[in-house]
Amino acid sequence: MPRIDRLIKTTTFRLALLYTALFAGSVGVLFIFVFINTNIFAERQVEAAIQTEVQSFQETYQRTGLTGLIQAINRRIDPNVRTDGIYLLTGADQVRVTGNLLSWPNNLTREDTVGDEIWVNFTIVDMQKAGPDTADVRALLFFIQGGYQLLVGRDIRDSREFRTQLLRSLNIGIGFTVALGVLGGFLFSRSIMGRVERITQTCRRIMRGDLSQRIEGSGTEDELARLSESVNEMLDQIERLMRGLREVSDNVAHDLRTPLNRLRARLEVAVSNAVDPKEKAELQEAIEEADGLLSTFSSLLRIARAEASLKRSFDVLSLGPIVENVADLYRPLAEDKDIAFNVDIDFGCNARGDSNLIAQTLANLTDNAVKYTPDGGSVHLHVCRDDNKAVFEISDTGSGIPPELHEKVFERLYRMESSRTSPGSGLGLSLVDAVVKSHGLKLKLSDNAPGLKVTLIFPDVAESGLPA
Amino acid sequence: MRVLVIEDDLTAAGFVTKGLQEAGYVVDHAEDGQKGLDLALSEPYGVMVVDRMLPGLNGMAIVQQVREQDIGTPVLFLSALGDVEDRVDGLKAGGDDYLVKPFAMAELLARIEALTRRGKGGGEVTHLSVGDLELDILARKVMRQGQRVYLHPREFRLLEYLMRHAGQVVTRTMLLENVWEYHFDPQTNVIDVHISRLRQKIDKPFDSAILQTVRGAGYKLEPTD
Repeated sequence: MPRIDRLIKTTTFRLALLYTALFAGSVGVLFIFVFINTNIFAERQVEAAIQTEVQSFQETYQRTGLTGLIQAINRRIDPNVRTDGIYLLTGADQVRVTGNLLSWPNNLTREDTVGDEIWVNFTIVDMQKAGPDTADVRALLFFIQGGYQLLVGRDIRDSREFRTQLLRSLNIGIGFTVALGVLGGFLFSRSIMGRVERITQTCRRIMRGDLSQRIEGSGTEDELARLSESVNEMLDQIERLMRGLREVSDNVAHDLRTPLNRLRARLEVAVSNAVDPKEKAELQEAIEEADGLLSTFSSLLRIARAEASLKRSFDVLSLGPIVENVADLYRPLAEDKDIAFNVDIDFGCNARGDSNLIAQTLANLTDNAVKYTPDGGSVHLHVCRDDNKAVFEISDTGSGIPPELHEKVFERLYRMESSRTSPGSGLGLSLVDAVVKSHGLKLKLSDNAPGLKVTLIFPDVAESGLPA
Repeated sequence: MRVLVIEDDLTAAGFVTKGLQEAGYVVDHAEDGQKGLDLALSEPYGVMVVDRMLPGLNGMAIVQQVREQDIGTPVLFLSALGDVEDRVDGLKAGGDDYLVKPFAMAELLARIEALTRRGKGGGEVTHLSVGDLELDILARKVMRQGQRVYLHPREFRLLEYLMRHAGQVVTRTMLLENVWEYHFDPQTNVIDVHISRLRQKIDKPFDSAILQTVRGAGYKLEPTD
């Protein structure tokens, strides 16, 4: 699920996750604190109860002696009186005198003595409840003159059970906290992501040249809505600037080309009036120079407009026929140079764009390949599909372009040292670059050993972020 | 034939007028949109040459109004705006051809000739012949002096276009626009190579050349006698 995958990668989701972890952590700390305190409190309560009882037994013993003590114990263990206390009075050699324990417990463990009190823990088999059950007992040992020992304890099974119960509740509580946090984070980031995604989609469409797109409002006045608003205002401004640029370039085209056109017209008139063939030839050359100037100028304008590419709409184009057409145009030229001209087309390839600009891009690349490949070399045109993306590849066996110049050749009017003598304006690849940028293509130059390989990757027609 | 030129740039207008007059046309010139429209609506012209950018009423608006009056005079737009979009806009507005400034006089003359001749042709043509050269569009068959000539599809389209405009000068740009449907100038002069290919097949094996080169303009298909 790529969508879930993307969701998990979002900042919102990660933040939500982090907060959940922090929250769960603090809840955990709180729970541990509560747990420990409750536990200590429960133990203290038991101990306090035992201490009070022992104290009262001590007083009884001092007042009434051993007989009084035995009577007091017997009153406590009277089966008609409900008690949770455990008592055992033993004489010398730990022989039972009275109490609700039948014998001195054999699994008694001594705890560290606190002051002069001797605390012990042991387990007994409880016969009162249904079925035998072991009960944990905490007790205080108390020595009386004459070898008598008094054991006063409490069954702490209940408090242990309370402790496990508490622990379980705390665990479930933390579990719920984490689960709710993750779910909340998931839902939260999905709704935020949806809105961010809409902004991204709109921006992509705008980047591809449809400047009329605006981000829809969500009806809220939160940060995202404010962001959308700012982006929209920015777009208004960019659109105004672009329109200005377009008007300027149109005016430049008109204002500068018109005088050049007049110059050319005058030259043409002069040619037709000239009688001297030498003069005629010279004027003809002047016309050609003017044509060259005008064509460079038109190319620059074309590039500027291809870059701004405020095309009303790009169409879905089948790349195969466009490439076939271009190949058709250049095949005789290649054949004249004895160049092996191979064309390999997968006709199921679609791309989105302006057909004329794409044709010119491919024509410029083919023109270069044929021009810079020496006689007897080979030029290979290849159209294929890679993962729903159309790929155009052209490789030649010419002189190639050194890697350090790969960026430079796309600059306007740049010509490599080695190609300055051949005809051309140095604008062919600049137009390619402009189309690459405005159409969202990927362009790669690589070494064909020998020669150059140019790879153009078109965006997926379905995902190009443009309205269908 | 009368030609109406609507162009605000007087130098360009003078150049066009002079060139057309030398080619044997009778030329009326209007230097702004409103005057041009008045003339276009009142006088019968064989062809109108209209600049797209004009003071007052622009070229597109003129042509739209002319077409609304059911006047079918062929219109050729002149413009400094050479984008395909601009071209499409011009043709949508009712123009028949679109020529980007600057242009050679020969280019303008060739296009005007193509426009005026086109108007006369009626119905679908399935068979073309020029001298001893014959072309059957449906059977995609070419014969010269009774001998079959085998052409590639693109060569066939090239020849078909040349034959439809037999006797007229056809420029390289016209060929690029009509045979390849390209509205850009390939860096290398590839059209010449295609023409020389075609010549190899329709002229070389025979005793007379039918495909002529017109210097400084383009090509012309015409039997030499």
